[in-house]
Amino acid sequence: MNDIKEKISAFYDGELNLSSKEIDELITFINENPILLEQISMMALTTAIKDNEDSNLISITSNKKNSNISYKSFWLSNSITAAATILLTLTVVTNFDFSRMNVSIDSSNKISSAINSKEAKIIAERSEEQLTDYVMKIVNEPGFMAGNEIVDLRNVGYQYNPSNGSNYFKDKENFQLRIEKRNFGLNKVRYWRHGNKMIYLVPLSDGRVLTLYGNITLNSAISIAQSLNN
Amino acid sequence: MSNNSNDIDSVLIDKAKNGNEGAFKILVNKYYPRVYASLFSFTKSKEDSEDLAQHTFIKVWQQLDTFRGDSAFFTWVYRIAINLAKNFVVSSNFKKQRSNIPMEDLNIDFSSFDSVEEVIIHDESMDKISNFVNTLPESLKTAFTLRESEGKSYEEISVITNTPIGTVRSRIFRARESIIEYMKKELINHE
Repeated sequence: MNDIKEKISAFYDGELNLSSKEIDELITFINENPILLEQISMMALTTAIKDNEDSNLISITSNKKNSNISYKSFWLSNSITAAATILLTLTVVTNFDFSRMNVSIDSSNKISSAINSKEAKIIAERSEEQLTDYVMKIVNEPGFMAGNEIVDLRNVGYQYNPSNGSNYFKDKENFQLRIEKRNFGLNKVRYWRHGNKMIYLVPLSDGRVLTLYGNITLNSAISIAQSLNN
Repeated sequence: MSNNSNDIDSVLIDKAKNGNEGAFKILVNKYYPRVYASLFSFTKSKEDSEDLAQHTFIKVWQQLDTFRGDSAFFTWVYRIAINLAKNFVVSSNFKKQRSNIPMEDLNIDFSSFDSVEEVIIHDESMDKISNFVNTLPESLKTAFTLRESEGKSYEEISVITNTPIGTVRSRIFRARESIIEYMKKELINHE
């Protein structure tokens, strides 16, 4: 079994050179072996955990409910239960996932906690999807934060280095910056953690939104936004 | 995640688009836990998260032909999940279960850790896993870290560690197996 599990591990990593027919055979073989399906889930879990080392963790019990909704049998597999349980054990309530990021689910939580606020509901319906896409773009597209606008932040002590990923820096802080003309419905600062970096979206007084991504504190982000407002 | 892993996703997606349910089932097994956990963050209910996760993958299956690979597969799946969750959240059933918390009139959302206790739990749990990874034999730890943290290919790891590719493959597998066993033992029954 270890030989085939090792093969699955390499398959998971995209490191098996197989023909289409061989892949079909492997897929069939995996599907006939719940242990191998479980291994896929668990390998994905090790990746997710490795990518979420900064996550806030909680303990959650592992009881699994038998769904009373009838689905095609292949949707459900006991093999995924263990991985889902572990991930729930490890995952964040306030700051989880968006794929391998620790992007805050804060936006989502705010919908639920403020669900009876008309304003919050309108904002959520209008903007959450755009916001989700935007934050995912920041994290997934390396060039995206290289900057759409260069701003002079010397009045708040930051130097600009175009050769280093369009970074702004001061002491231990360094970050990338974008300014969006749309405001995503934001009227407050929103921020997320991604690995050891932070993502801040700060609404500016002229209706635009300042995005900062990097090693920078909330107070610094607000100072920068204030300097732009002035 | 590395490009290679995304390549495997695209292979599986192509096959699933052509009706290969087995390929889709592998994708489900790969991403279900993360979708489930994300939904839990949203709903705070395991039962609702499970139902929503199942709905998500049904929808993914139904809409798979529309996935063009412009974004990572999980990004696309996640968006479907969150849209379902959003609709669910604004439904009357969900409202009944939630207390009415007025939106604070603050200028800033403080969205970091909710409590010291959670930070402590976090630190303890992650320390456990990190400590365990650190107890792995150096060769396994290096191969695993280069693969998972740095997204190196087997060939690159082979060059870096001056080790045959077959050995790299074996080391990564053994590291994963050890970590998986540890997580199962330490966390699956964690109350």
